Amino acid sequence: MSTVVAIGADAGSTTTKLVGISHDGVIVWETIEPTEPRMREQLERLLATIPGSGGSAGPTVPVVATGYGRNLVDTKHRRVTEITCHATGVYRSIRSSGTLIDIGGQDSKVIVIDAAGGVVNFAMNDKCAAGTGRFLEVVAARMRESVQDFAALALSSPEEVAISNTCTVFAESEMVSLLAQGHAIESISRGLHRALARRVASLARSAGAVAPLMMSGGGAHNVALRALLENELGAAIRLPAKPQLMGAYGAALLALRRAAA
Amino acid sequence: MDSTPTRTQVIAEHKRSGGRIAAVFPVHYSRALFRAFNILPVEVWGGGRTGNAGDAHLQAYTCSVVRGVLSAHLTGMLRDAELYCVPHTCDSLQGLGSLFLDLVDPGRPVIPIYLPRDEGPAAVAFMASELRAIYDRLAELTGSRPSDADLQRAIDRECEADSVLAAMLELQGRLALPARAFYAAARSREYLPAEQFAAAGRRLLETTVRREEPAGVPILLSGIVPEPEEILDQLDAAGASIVADDMACCGRRNYAMSTNSDPFGRMAEQILGGPPDSTRGVAVERRLAHLLSLASARRVRAAVFYEVKFCEPEAFYLPQLRRGLEEAGIKTLALEVDISERPSHQIATRIEALLETLA
Repeated sequence: MSTVVAIGADAGSTTTKLVGISHDGVIVWETIEPTEPRMREQLERLLATIPGSGGSAGPTVPVVATGYGRNLVDTKHRRVTEITCHATGVYRSIRSSGTLIDIGGQDSKVIVIDAAGGVVNFAMNDKCAAGTGRFLEVVAARMRESVQDFAALALSSPEEVAISNTCTVFAESEMVSLLAQGHAIESISRGLHRALARRVASLARSAGAVAPLMMSGGGAHNVALRALLENELGAAIRLPAKPQLMGAYGAALLALRRAAA
Repeated sequence: MDSTPTRTQVIAEHKRSGGRIAAVFPVHYSRALFRAFNILPVEVWGGGRTGNAGDAHLQAYTCSVVRGVLSAHLTGMLRDAELYCVPHTCDSLQGLGSLFLDLVDPGRPVIPIYLPRDEGPAAVAFMASELRAIYDRLAELTGSRPSDADLQRAIDRECEADSVLAAMLELQGRLALPARAFYAAARSREYLPAEQFAAAGRRLLETTVRREEPAGVPILLSGIVPEPEEILDQLDAAGASIVADDMACCGRRNYAMSTNSDPFGRMAEQILGGPPDSTRGVAVERRLAHLLSLASARRVRAAVFYEVKFCEPEAFYLPQLRRGLEEAGIKTLALEVDISERPSHQIATRIEALLETLA
């Protein structure tokens, strides 16, 4: 394995991701685990596990932290928002300007990237969980399905029930009513994914989205959401190889860039 | 302005000296008119720990400024005020004025101020007649009738304080002060008697170190009121310097000077000659031209619109203002808050991301 020369730590609301990269910006080490309530301790523990990076004394290579818990890392490390980090990671992976849609556990972001990889504009959901990965987690759990299986159900349905709420609490209640009315789980699932896709598409339009479309974050793994977003925005979505790691990867690239400066 | 007395101290002192207190709600009115009657206007912008007692009387889509004001009244926080003054700034404040008819005891007058939704001589005449009507109400309440000369003297005192505020706003970003400290000083205009504010402001201007250039990325801050104040700390921490202010509580009350020999005409001209403001219904084109001019003079790189959720006057203007500023190469960021709550993590992220795009 190549030596880790820079580290990116993405302490997200749902999962914590760490990426180590080599001199040429290639991911050579990665880890991902559910975010724990004690985020600071978790970050310290994970940073100590990076091969050849200093062990319990902490990393001896540059670190950039991002995500919800970015301010919990040691103050000697740099903190950068997930907006800049996702843009940096995806730009390096896909090597294209365009519009990045990042659907994370608690945030959805639309980031317009210019030809040099810089952030031109961005839009972000408000503090409620509507339009985020959490929305699908809650409704899938209510149906006793995994998020992936719930997405597969959506794609298997030729029919779609209109869901009027994207508020997680009200959508769950609306879903229960629809089940009681005898609607199929598949068509309800498709309607819920459609509601989320519409909300994110609206966010994208407000940010002035331009083609091509790209996606990162855990939400990028959701095939139904991806398909319906493409449908709503009328363009294909390109994916990096490891969408969920793009925040951490971008952070590592920024750490490498800073070390080289 | 470390030694600036608190609201509580100022109110107690004014009452001890035989004066009355008026609780005044946002945004525009004449401080001089009240002071001529020895009534100290103390403004209430609804922030802080006012609780949620007002929620029971208001629709969910009423802004947190109005909810906060009503909560402050219902929980007795305004008990020192002998009268209330409600400018008809927006539908919600107008509605609050009506609610007060039921919720305020009859011994405490509620005085509305109707602001013209236009500019020009007819608007000035309307405003002047409105101020005359308030004069009559205050005369009835206090039993005194200040002369024109008394009124002019009161206006002069307010003009002096206004000129100090204008100097502070002019130097904003170059005074070596945290944003929170700057706004605490500027916003003491909301309750300090003019002469105390002017003295304290002059002291601040004389004793604060001035920088040649702002320490951070120069930004313009627009909105109604910079609360919760954590937003100001977040801007500092992210590397921004507020160099231009367009807040309704501060920069939009950087009133014009007038030499009108009729005191009511003078007060009206000053209020209506202030910077263009959505809450006075001034055309969006004039608002935009003002912001562009401010941005150009202070070399602003980004404008942050820090808006109170459900503030209709602001919301109607926002898209055109953002578009116009963006077209002029000034990045914009719109944030919405409930001023009674702590700002969310997403707000800090948006501010930091904006600054990162400018780095």
